[in-house]
Amino acid sequence: MTLTIGDLAEGDALTPMVIAVTATVIVAGAVATRDFMPVHHDKAYAESQGAPDIFMNILSSNAYCSRFLTDWAGPEAVVRRVAIRLGVPVFPNSTLTFTGTVSSIDVATATVEVTLQASTPMGDHLTGTASLCLPRGGASG
Amino acid sequence: MTSAEPESLAQRLEALVGTPVGPSGPSVGPDPVNQPMIRHWAAAFEDANPAYTDPAWAEASSFGEIVAPPLMLQTWVLPTPIITGIAERGGSPVEIEGSGPLGVLDDAGFVGTLASNSEFEFERYLHLGEVLSATTIIESISPEKRTRIGPGHFITWVTTWRDEAGEVVGRQVFRILKFRPELAGP
Repeated sequence: MTLTIGDLAEGDALTPMVIAVTATVIVAGAVATRDFMPVHHDKAYAESQGAPDIFMNILSSNAYCSRFLTDWAGPEAVVRRVAIRLGVPVFPNSTLTFTGTVSSIDVATATVEVTLQASTPMGDHLTGTASLCLPRGGASG
Repeated sequence: MTSAEPESLAQRLEALVGTPVGPSGPSVGPDPVNQPMIRHWAAAFEDANPAYTDPAWAEASSFGEIVAPPLMLQTWVLPTPIITGIAERGGSPVEIEGSGPLGVLDDAGFVGTLASNSEFEFERYLHLGEVLSATTIIESISPEKRTRIGPGHFITWVTTWRDEAGEVVGRQVFRILKFRPELAGP
């Protein structure tokens, strides 16, 4: 159910994840992360700040990164690091597409490094790197 | 600049490095790590990882018990918001005394804020019942730089979360740009 370190090779693609972003998705994420900044739930307030609509909060962007990583690697993968650079905001009625690639594998520590990005039709929302520890596996074929 | 000026902006910014953002002491999570908030988070992000919400699965797994989603770390220590007046406070969830350390930049015209980078590291996963605290320290402030949205300063702060024994459970390096908005060109 969870990938083992021996299953992977550098250059492997992570399983893509597509989020259909609506206002509900943005508000649900903001509230679940306890982020009550009005730009994440109040369109009129967001417009008063110069934005065209409410937009996804960073805690949600990070949350989706972790789901993307463990949806691919499996539930026993342990996320060690998620480092992202933020790009264009994510507004309602958009799509957020996560893709990634295995960049290095350290068998000794059972750690895999990946690059990842989440893109919208307007450009990259985030780009970054992450590392996970995976089960060693290999007990039997 | 004249010698009569007591302190330049650069000096005032330099003085902020190493000082806390927000309260001088650690912030303590209002509630321990708990299943209802985890379930709410997992539902919001449609994250079906059973390590977060399925006790039987978690007990039989390498985790041995339910664990909190690692990227919930920041959420545990956010204050309970005061909803009334939140817009008037510029989105701040609670009343803040004064303008905070970064008010120096607002006063100098760098009123825009744009998040730039987030780097989380996790020492270990958290279990139900743990109470966390966090401290946030300004690590660096860049000299003024030209950016495509206007001149500004990059500010980097580091938040460190600790468990009840004082052991570090995770860190986040966070970088924002405080910028002076420029009128958009044609």
